[in-house]
Amino acid sequence: MASSDTLERLVRRVAAQVRRRRIEHYALRGAFWACLVAVLLLAFKAALAGWAPLLAGGVVAVGALGGALWGGIKRTSVADAARLADRAWGLEDRVATAVDWAGRSERGPLVDALIADTLQRVEALPPRAAARRVIPRDGRFLPIPLALALVLALAPPIPLPSGRLPDFLASGVEEEQPEQRSGSMLTDERSRPTPKDRLKAPSFEEKEFATRAGGTGAAMSGDLSAVFKDTALSGQRPDFQSFLKKGDDRLKMLEQADRLPDLQSDFTTSQYKMMFRKSKALGGLRPDQISPQKLRELLEEMERLGRKGGANWQGDAAEGMEAMEGGQSDRGMAAMQRALDKMRAQDEAARSGKGLKGGRENSRGGGNRDKRVGGGEGGGPDDQDFGEGEGLLPGKGRSSSPKGEATQRLRGSPYDVGVEGESRRGRKDGYDTNMTGRAGQMGSRLQYLGVIGQYRKMMEDSIARESVPRDFHEQIKDYFQALDER
Amino acid sequence: MTQDTRVQDFIAAFEGLRAEVEKVIVGHREIIDHVLIGMFAGGHVLLEGAPGLGKTLLVKTLAEGLELSFSRIQFTPDLMPADIIGTNIIVEDADGRKHFQFQQGPIFAHILLADEINRATPKTQSALLEGMQEASVTTGGASRPLPSPFFVLATQNPIEMEGTYPLPEAQLDRFLFKLRVRYPAIEELNAIIDRTTQVRPVRVERVMSGSNVLAFRELIREVPIADHVRALASTIIMATHPMWEHSPESARRFIRYGASPRGAQALVLGAKVRALTQGRFNVSVDDLRALAAPALRHRIILNFEGEAEGVDTDTLVGQVVERAEAVTVQGKEAFVR
Repeated sequence: MASSDTLERLVRRVAAQVRRRRIEHYALRGAFWACLVAVLLLAFKAALAGWAPLLAGGVVAVGALGGALWGGIKRTSVADAARLADRAWGLEDRVATAVDWAGRSERGPLVDALIADTLQRVEALPPRAAARRVIPRDGRFLPIPLALALVLALAPPIPLPSGRLPDFLASGVEEEQPEQRSGSMLTDERSRPTPKDRLKAPSFEEKEFATRAGGTGAAMSGDLSAVFKDTALSGQRPDFQSFLKKGDDRLKMLEQADRLPDLQSDFTTSQYKMMFRKSKALGGLRPDQISPQKLRELLEEMERLGRKGGANWQGDAAEGMEAMEGGQSDRGMAAMQRALDKMRAQDEAARSGKGLKGGRENSRGGGNRDKRVGGGEGGGPDDQDFGEGEGLLPGKGRSSSPKGEATQRLRGSPYDVGVEGESRRGRKDGYDTNMTGRAGQMGSRLQYLGVIGQYRKMMEDSIARESVPRDFHEQIKDYFQALDER
Repeated sequence: MTQDTRVQDFIAAFEGLRAEVEKVIVGHREIIDHVLIGMFAGGHVLLEGAPGLGKTLLVKTLAEGLELSFSRIQFTPDLMPADIIGTNIIVEDADGRKHFQFQQGPIFAHILLADEINRATPKTQSALLEGMQEASVTTGGASRPLPSPFFVLATQNPIEMEGTYPLPEAQLDRFLFKLRVRYPAIEELNAIIDRTTQVRPVRVERVMSGSNVLAFRELIREVPIADHVRALASTIIMATHPMWEHSPESARRFIRYGASPRGAQALVLGAKVRALTQGRFNVSVDDLRALAAPALRHRIILNFEGEAEGVDTDTLVGQVVERAEAVTVQGKEAFVR
């Protein structure tokens, strides 16, 4: 039948277009992924020798052909092709309906009219593609791996890691050659502290600090300034040997890094604090925790600090060390305690001399020191110290308790601060309160009349912002009213 | 008579009737088209809109353009079913014998205008149920057929809800389309003022008889529909159901009950009429898209969340159609799958 032939031709034409588009589509996808594989092959072309470009090209060709084959063998149904034709030429589902109904036996009279109408429109169709080209997302990025593959194919092979350990012998031989040329300069340079040395732990540096602060300290101060001094070589004759010698001297001085000032420990931390840190690092100074080994380390540290000069506890520390060497731990402990007391006194004297008020002095009302267990003042760990508790060490304090006994002040009144009050009858019932304890004896630092207005405004703002529960509004207002009445 | 001639006659009749209505009604072209599509599809139409937008005038004008009987019922809370259907009264014959005689109510007309239908009680509203579905009424144990064609056009006001009785779902489902009459644009308003405040009598011609309407209804049912278009119609209906696996998220969230199979019938029948009015012998996907909202908006029942959020059923229907098209592989790149 001529009519159905025309429709079938149209559908076949569209189906062929669809197949072509599918071939393009899947070939691009295949080429993209094959290109990625080709890039990998070309990246390792050193291992593949001359085969890499050939293999890469082959993989790309196989990928593209495989994709094209896959697109070609995918089937396009007649209904799909008809619908695509309808959409492509704006036929409003005429072709799909005509193709659907053309083969039915029970078709009504309007179906013939539909087929005739459809044929008429199909014959007048402009010859253009029904299936538009759809470039896959991965196909859009195809130029990237393609260009990469091209670059890798033209570039020299990327050296591959050998997988064996580096040849230290060979490099050592290479390094010996400049040494022969330039004398001892590079020998000294190699003797510089290695990076491992530079990463020594702070405690280790502190130990070395004792050495640098030792007997040759006065002589070394001139040498240290020489490190930073302008040598003004321009005024001298060009003498390469002397230049090398001066350089060697400088390097030697730099090697003695422990003679440089330890800024952190010397200027921001007192010796007493350093000792405190050291004791914390060793696990604390509680009598039940301290061991002879810890005691010895603390005394060594104390001795080291004492060698810096100006320390009046050095003798005690030395005595403690002697006692420890003789196996007398108790004597060693007592010597350390004395040394610590002196260290603390010296530290506080130094602070007072600088016009700085320590937290302890503040809390004691300016120098009214009581020799009791301190505590409570200071916030951070640096503000903490051993305290002066004589009960800290067993047998040395007033109490045998490791925690010591309560102070006199606490014995007299166990509460620092308290509030007492009584109800007051009046137009509005109220409650008068007074503070008791030490805080109650201190005068208010704020003038009542100066702040009451401000507090009242804050109260009104809080109520207006609804930050106070509604049930409490009246109570708060009454309170402020009562203040006015007083 | 060839099929082309029949279709051309239909198009001419449709356009002639529309032209007659447009002599009186300004604007509302889409509403007029949908009313006519509903009439030719053999269904009933519910018009919803604020007072004064010309709903009643539209129906009256349409009745004037057809050589058909027309009756109008103003629904009020005290209206009774007998006032619509009719009642048996005792009459005395020439021999002096008395017997019951059925006095037909206003429902016995080709075109029935049920004005403000939601003002009557559900009992009275239900009097229309049988007539709308079966084109007959049963009274006194006897079933009485209604004149053919029988076409109910009901109006309701969505604003004044005080003292009204919303139509039950069963009643709503019997309307082929629910049309929303919107406020006219300013140009249309100017034309309305000109047309209604000057002495210029408008005469509406009768352009179609009842037999023509019935013949066209038969023609419409012959319009073929392709499998994929029919499948899309079914998918649209299914996608209005919240429990269906492919329903859009909005339908799952806001719909309590989806459209019934009557919705699918309404959609396809309306699409067939629309296809013929455009000179096409087949139903297209575009026809379904165009008629989905009037055919389905009153068949979708929102849940509490949908009501509370004020979800527009037209928007929901749009999303349902979009989802249904995606499910039935209408995508442009379907060929590469």
